[in-house]
Amino acid sequence: MAHKLTTCTFCGVGCGLYLETSGNRVVGVSPSMSHPANEGRICVRGWHVHEIIDAPDRLKRPLLRKNGRLQEVTWDEAFGFIVTRLKEIRDQHGSDSIAFLNSPRCSNEESYLLQKLARAVIKTNNVDHGAGVYSNYSLNVLLRMLGVPATTNSIRELGQSDVIIVDGVDLGRQLPTIGGAVIRARLKGAKLIVVDTRRHRVAENADIFLQHRPGTDTLLYGTMAKVIIDHGLMDLPFIKTHCQSYDAFLANVSSYDLLATAEICGVPAEQIEAAALAYGQAKSAAILYSTGIEAGDAESIEAMVNLCLLCGQLGREGAGIFSLTEHNNLQGVCDMGMLPDRLPGYGSVSSDAARGKIESLWNTGLPAERGMTAKWTLSHRGNGLVRAVWLCRYDPVSTAFIGEAAQSLQQCDLVVMQHLFLTPTAEYAHVVLPTTVFGEERVTFTSTERRIQLAEQVIEPPEGIEPAWLQLTRVAQAMGADWKYDSSAEVMNEISSVVPIYSGANYDNLARDYGRQWPCTREHPMGTQFLFAPGHPPQTFTFVPIEKSPQPVITNEEYPLTLVFGHSLYYWHQNVLIRHSETLKREYRMLLLDYPDGFVEISTDDAKRFNIRDGEKIRLRTTRGTSTTAARVTREVLSGTVYVPYFVSQVMQQLQGVPEKGVQLLPVRVEREAA
Amino acid sequence: MKARILDRADVLKVADLLREQGYEVIAPFRGRGRDTFFETITEENRKRFDLHLPNPYYPPKRFVFPHMERLLTVQKKNGDLLIEPIYKETKRALFGVRSCDVAGIYHLDRFYLGRDFRDIYYEKRRRNLFIVNVVCTDPGEDINNECFCMCADTGPAARDHFDLQLMDLGDEIMAVAGTAAGEALFDHAMFKKGTHAHQEKRAAILNDVRRHFKTTTSWFSATVRYVSQGGVLEKTWEEIGNRCLECGGCTYVCPACTCFTVSDRQTGPDEIERVRIWDACALAGFTRMAGGHNPRRAVHDRRNRRFFRKLAHYFIQRELSMACVGCGRCAAVCHGDVGMPSVVEMVRRATTESDTHEAN
Repeated sequence: MAHKLTTCTFCGVGCGLYLETSGNRVVGVSPSMSHPANEGRICVRGWHVHEIIDAPDRLKRPLLRKNGRLQEVTWDEAFGFIVTRLKEIRDQHGSDSIAFLNSPRCSNEESYLLQKLARAVIKTNNVDHGAGVYSNYSLNVLLRMLGVPATTNSIRELGQSDVIIVDGVDLGRQLPTIGGAVIRARLKGAKLIVVDTRRHRVAENADIFLQHRPGTDTLLYGTMAKVIIDHGLMDLPFIKTHCQSYDAFLANVSSYDLLATAEICGVPAEQIEAAALAYGQAKSAAILYSTGIEAGDAESIEAMVNLCLLCGQLGREGAGIFSLTEHNNLQGVCDMGMLPDRLPGYGSVSSDAARGKIESLWNTGLPAERGMTAKWTLSHRGNGLVRAVWLCRYDPVSTAFIGEAAQSLQQCDLVVMQHLFLTPTAEYAHVVLPTTVFGEERVTFTSTERRIQLAEQVIEPPEGIEPAWLQLTRVAQAMGADWKYDSSAEVMNEISSVVPIYSGANYDNLARDYGRQWPCTREHPMGTQFLFAPGHPPQTFTFVPIEKSPQPVITNEEYPLTLVFGHSLYYWHQNVLIRHSETLKREYRMLLLDYPDGFVEISTDDAKRFNIRDGEKIRLRTTRGTSTTAARVTREVLSGTVYVPYFVSQVMQQLQGVPEKGVQLLPVRVEREAA
Repeated sequence: MKARILDRADVLKVADLLREQGYEVIAPFRGRGRDTFFETITEENRKRFDLHLPNPYYPPKRFVFPHMERLLTVQKKNGDLLIEPIYKETKRALFGVRSCDVAGIYHLDRFYLGRDFRDIYYEKRRRNLFIVNVVCTDPGEDINNECFCMCADTGPAARDHFDLQLMDLGDEIMAVAGTAAGEALFDHAMFKKGTHAHQEKRAAILNDVRRHFKTTTSWFSATVRYVSQGGVLEKTWEEIGNRCLECGGCTYVCPACTCFTVSDRQTGPDEIERVRIWDACALAGFTRMAGGHNPRRAVHDRRNRRFFRKLAHYFIQRELSMACVGCGRCAAVCHGDVGMPSVVEMVRRATTESDTHEAN
């Protein structure tokens, strides 16, 4: 009977919890009361992580497809096959015919080595993480406007904020620990403003709930900025000292009109004004949004950051931008360079200086051309260019937003899969390498508050199974690279020499404290709780004037509702780990049991209006197509909208074709199928 | 109950005595920060032993009702099904269970053993468990802001349901035997007869300690009445439900919560194992029935149910024990601050709604 402090690996909060072991089994879990991010609280997923670790249907032996069937082989045969085929495909079709994709839940060590394998050994920039379509909006916007692609403050500081804006994310479902922090902040007196089309749990607690029509949030934030300016509440000293492009922003914002916006958004003008004044008058205000599929487009993020700069809400406790990562290591995999256009540490692949620095550290030349995104690889196979795909812990057939992953993989000459279980993606794999689960290896993850944390090893993996980072090392070595890492700690040591914001981190100091928040450098050896503290090197921030937001969907009598597609709200329902806990399976898949043929969500008002009962079959019709599915009636959804969960992709395809963006809006008609 | 006195310095000798009797002796030890844990006492850690420290968060009910427990295996062999139960009968002594947790285990005894169906897995673990209760006397270490054993009438000194109780009197410790097994230890020379002065000291210390507990849950008994009589407004349950994030934590940390689910997992081509895992009525799927009907689909209905199970007369009479022991863990674990203390407060505040005054 033993217990060990470790970090939960579901979502981006990175809660501290203890795994309880008995012999070589994980038999229990309990929260850490002293961990700064969660202080004794975890969510339902964390409470059942021990069931998942203990799942008996783990893959135990490598599999190779022979005569159309996956068969158990030795590790030597599996690795041999991989190396031979990679070389063949590279020699025959070029380096860029191979792509490397991972899950945003992969550790820093395996992510770092995966992109190093791609860039230093195979010589391609075709690397991306599975959530690449959506989060990269936030990353690019923040780099441009703030210079740092991450949350600026720490989760526990929300207790110090006197105004909190939560935009477009159901915290209760996605990041419950942060949802709790927000609810408790409000109980202590903070003003909670929720901006969303859905009325979720945290919205029920809001002081001001701006339940806007889909696609109008950019307009909303721009108008709030105008109200703040009209009332003279902007922080001019801050703007003068730190910000560029204010005049262009000002000129752009002056064209917003509160009453017109209220009309378009479907939100009372007084509420918009009240929200704006609250934010403008706040001592410390935080804006929270998600970088998951829930993320709006780049413009809405720009509009939020503009607001933050306008009021100088940076550089102190409780004031800042929380760009929340829904997956535990989305921040880390980006920091590690699992991006087609950025190296570890965010230097551009096309920058000679950035590339040169890493070339000398790795002692090899690196490709300079931007690589393919995950979306491009999996939906168009790079226009037919991609022949081989390496998938590290990634199950695109189940979780990819893009509907064609299965088809693309089927056409590949080589699909290498590293995973724990036989996921639906395995059907298209040529070789499957089973790897370690949470608790069987010691590796790091970087949470949404930039906290680099250790997940500890508490049990031995099944015989023969090695961590993914070690498997990648073996492949690289077999291909002639002189990699040598005797432990994951050594991989982190290399990471700290390559990625400046990680330069002060090592396993010793990470284990001593509750990880370290980057930048963790020689200047900030203990890490950085919040960014841009005064007195530190002066920062320059940039306003971005937003071109007039796209007109929201035009509905009419024939197509009276707005179809909203692609919400990560139900991401975890598809995740393979969830299926391995009896309780989580029940909780998450209950929706799928209740609506076995898929569903779309409509509001109680619209259900009354169109005489539709919960569970009833309905027909959706747009100008381009029709689809039949079940209706789920819920008061969470805004009247006038129809929500299509992202995994119900066939509905979207039938109505429009393969979805191009994270948020797709269409005018739609809804009828009872029976009628 | 018989009581004896021993020197403070001898306290670990009691643990040694238990080990000689064949028990694996487990005690709470400090971890990092406020985190404390039950660990087996070893040569290495005994020097770190503390009589007073924060109550371990992971409740000791798991020693009789584990978080995840393998119940049996079923093997298909030659057309037959071989069913093998997996029992755990290790003798264990929990050396340092708080009075609230003692009441919790008693509540579990009533639930798992006290009625028509005796749970054999629970029984085997319980029969082999020796409970040493340590009385909370150090307001700095033992007691925190969330504790309310006074309101649940379970502490700070348990009156029953332990094998041995240790109370810190300063240089000496008063040991009270709760069962024959506890009393049998008194044969050892380290236990001396006490005097009237020791009794008085005990009373004085307990009197003083009682002053350190939260007072706002003095509304606790009124809440019991309101809940039992269905007098809590629907609006109040909705407010509570709005703050609940359905994590299940309140159930998992509660020393008196008993719910579980059962899962069959394939462990080989012809073999399955059945495991029992903690479950929570907080979760939406807990009452979902085959066919899709769910009598407690809405979160506020589930919150309502929880507090009914915790407090209603019906259950107190059925289990001869209340399902809340005042340990305060649910307050610490809750994201939305709707643990027992806050719910009691919300019920209290809501009763002003039902005040009607005529101005003229």
